[in-house]
Amino acid sequence: MISFRYQDKGTVIHKLNPFCKLAWISGVLVLALLFDNPLYLLALFVSTLPLVWAARVWKEWASIMKLSFYLCLLVIVINALVSNQGSHVLYQFPFHIPIWGTPKITLEAILCGIGNAVRLTAIISAFAILTLTLHPDNLMLAMIKMRLPYKSVLVTSLATRFVPTLIDDIGTITDVQRSRGLELDKGGLPQKIRGRMTIMIPLLSNSLDRAFQVAEAMESRAFGNGAKRTFYNRIGMSTVDIAILAFFFLLLAMGISMSLLGQGEYSYYPTLGGMNIGPLEGLMLSILALLLLMMLPLAYLKRRIDLD
Amino acid sequence: MIRMDSLTFCYSGASVPALENINLEIEDGEFVLVTGPSGGGKSTLCRCLNGLIPHFHGGRITGRVEVGGLDVLRHPTKELATKVGMVFQDPENQLVAMDVEREIAFGLENLAFPRDVIAKRIEESLDTLGIASLRYRPVHELSGGEKQKVAIASVLALHPDIVVLDEPTSELDPKGAEDVLSIVERLNDELGITVILIEHRLDRVIHLVDRIIVIHEGRAIADGGARAILDNGEIADIGVGIPPIIRLVQKLKQKGVSLDNIPLTVKEGRVMLERVFREGLRRTQPQDERVKGKPIIEIENLWHVYPQGLTALKNVNLRICEGEFVAIMGRNASGKSTLVKHINGLLKPTKGKVRVAGIDTREATIAQMAQRVGYVFQNPNDHLFADTVQEEIAFTLKNLGYRGREIASRVDEMLERFNLKEYSRQYPRSLSGGERQRVALASVLVAQPDVLILDEPTRGMEYRLKSELMRFLEEYRDRGNTVILVTHDVETVAEHADRVILLGEGRVVVDGGKRDVLSQALLFSPQVNRLVQAFEKYGVPGDILTADEALDLLI
Repeated sequence: MISFRYQDKGTVIHKLNPFCKLAWISGVLVLALLFDNPLYLLALFVSTLPLVWAARVWKEWASIMKLSFYLCLLVIVINALVSNQGSHVLYQFPFHIPIWGTPKITLEAILCGIGNAVRLTAIISAFAILTLTLHPDNLMLAMIKMRLPYKSVLVTSLATRFVPTLIDDIGTITDVQRSRGLELDKGGLPQKIRGRMTIMIPLLSNSLDRAFQVAEAMESRAFGNGAKRTFYNRIGMSTVDIAILAFFFLLLAMGISMSLLGQGEYSYYPTLGGMNIGPLEGLMLSILALLLLMMLPLAYLKRRIDLD
Repeated sequence: MIRMDSLTFCYSGASVPALENINLEIEDGEFVLVTGPSGGGKSTLCRCLNGLIPHFHGGRITGRVEVGGLDVLRHPTKELATKVGMVFQDPENQLVAMDVEREIAFGLENLAFPRDVIAKRIEESLDTLGIASLRYRPVHELSGGEKQKVAIASVLALHPDIVVLDEPTSELDPKGAEDVLSIVERLNDELGITVILIEHRLDRVIHLVDRIIVIHEGRAIADGGARAILDNGEIADIGVGIPPIIRLVQKLKQKGVSLDNIPLTVKEGRVMLERVFREGLRRTQPQDERVKGKPIIEIENLWHVYPQGLTALKNVNLRICEGEFVAIMGRNASGKSTLVKHINGLLKPTKGKVRVAGIDTREATIAQMAQRVGYVFQNPNDHLFADTVQEEIAFTLKNLGYRGREIASRVDEMLERFNLKEYSRQYPRSLSGGERQRVALASVLVAQPDVLILDEPTRGMEYRLKSELMRFLEEYRDRGNTVILVTHDVETVAEHADRVILLGEGRVVVDGGKRDVLSQALLFSPQVNRLVQAFEKYGVPGDILTADEALDLLI
């Protein structure tokens, strides 16, 4: 099985400061939500690809993206079915729903769905890179530095810690019930659901027992001993890190000002908008794309400087 | 210094106290073994030492517990963390960080130690346990034994005066268990830490401990030196597993042989019994083995490669007959589970053939195989999901397409056979460990399979439950069925199996009668065999495996 979890592959991306990665991902997230133009969103997605290559996580990334593909398909289908807007009607349903009207499928609705799917893909790609290259404990440290409450952060980290255990558990319990003649793929939906329950119930009860034992062990090692906890691992901020951080804020500022200038807007309804990009917008878009791609040279630069 | 004065504790909601009027004193530097049947209150007692009781598990408590001058009732667990370190049974469930170094730092961070102190303590703990090489390894990739060492290191980093270990080896294979116990011994011997160890495999530890406390039904029914405690016959009656050599000596004494002591190690046994074996030998032949039926499992040139590329089985050829009791042994990851999962079709051969009762497993579904082959997994909790014991047992039959009256009558028969009648309407997960094991077994045997596979069923199991399980298996085998037991437990194999298959790196290394395989093996020999090997010069057969067989030669 391909692991969806963090593995230290020692690449420049893995070694990048957690705060820089968090700044980068917030940049991608904000831009993905600001812009509607599918070209912009596509550019955003493409800008994440070199990082996948540099972090050497192709396989893991690809299997996450495969899941996101199905999600996108769902978004497109639902949007096409539900959205009643758009002037190019491809198909009109032969029935009428009170209040809503006659459902129809329009070209605009399909394309709007595709545009949103691209947005989603860009965001998922960025988060996939983050989870595959950021040590969960470092994420925890970063979040605590950002003044999130320690206990909530710890719960998140514990959840990550027990993912492999849970996967093993599911495997064993499935084997147990199949050995007792359970056929998971047989029968209608109700029977399938009942079959899954014979796995879910032992899994949940075992996990509950486990949770109690983990709590006991933590208590025994002085967990919850007042607020003044120390942290052995630290996230050092070097000058380069601060520079990289500043750089991403620049990127964000650029994106926001473009959005304020009305760039990157796009409307699907009632008919598809044009895609003409003026000279100024073209220039700013190129700069933005360039800034997005700067993550990689910056990461290499950081390693060079760290080695010196 | 630990002192308990008339300690009584009752879990909230329980009507019977878990501990009743316990009075104990444990001096600094003592090595104390706490033992007794499961459900008797051993774990409860230990949890009183660091305040998990009453601060974590609520209940009614009376009396007094004092640890290192602190009153446990007034000081919560976190304040006692630097006095008492606790190591639990399941290594998986006490590690909270992603890698070893952070795991060891966890307690120190909670206690707000400065970073330089934490760095020093991490270094010390890693070295004391000899696990410096694991430092940056992710916790989930470690073996059970390694995880347990990390757990001990993380407790040791807090510099406790007392370390309490609650069955630390019961989830481990023999090698891991050995490693952990020798570390525990060093903690006591070299570092002078007071050690309180709960353990039911006594043969490994009795020669190391200063004192044994037996807890039964909430009371400390015996407390004293190892020899005094073990020589007391009542201890065996309540279900404490007496090591085979001591059983042999006790039985000899009952027969009137004059022996003034009991041996704690094999070496002591050799010295003590030399005269008995030299002069008292009557017979020189152990009983014969039983005759086999016709082959039921045929495995030809079996190879298995997992999708990740690991070759787990390499050209395995086996033929197992009706009525055989086969033990499959071998190191962890030697291919034991992979092999037996082929017999009920959970895994299909990558190459080669597996036939059970003439059916090729590649041509049958797992459900079809379930009529022929029953499979009991290690943890009964993984089996149990239904609301009542009755439904749990009936589930297997429903899957196999049985209906109505047939189900009812078969379920009734199982409830009867496994003494589960009175629990038939109870929630299976609320039963005790032994009862749950019986429900799991009944839920598999209700399909009336010809072959029963058990994957490490005795791991972490106390003596009494083990013998009960073995009784059921013997009975099942006597009906002409086949039992396949995957296990590390040499003594159980010596007593109950006919044949031993030893796997190594996915190949069958040895396959033969238990006498050939288990006698005179360096690590695999049962205790009594290691004893009699020294007496071969007097004509004692070298393939004697159990106390009863040895006794049979002498009397």
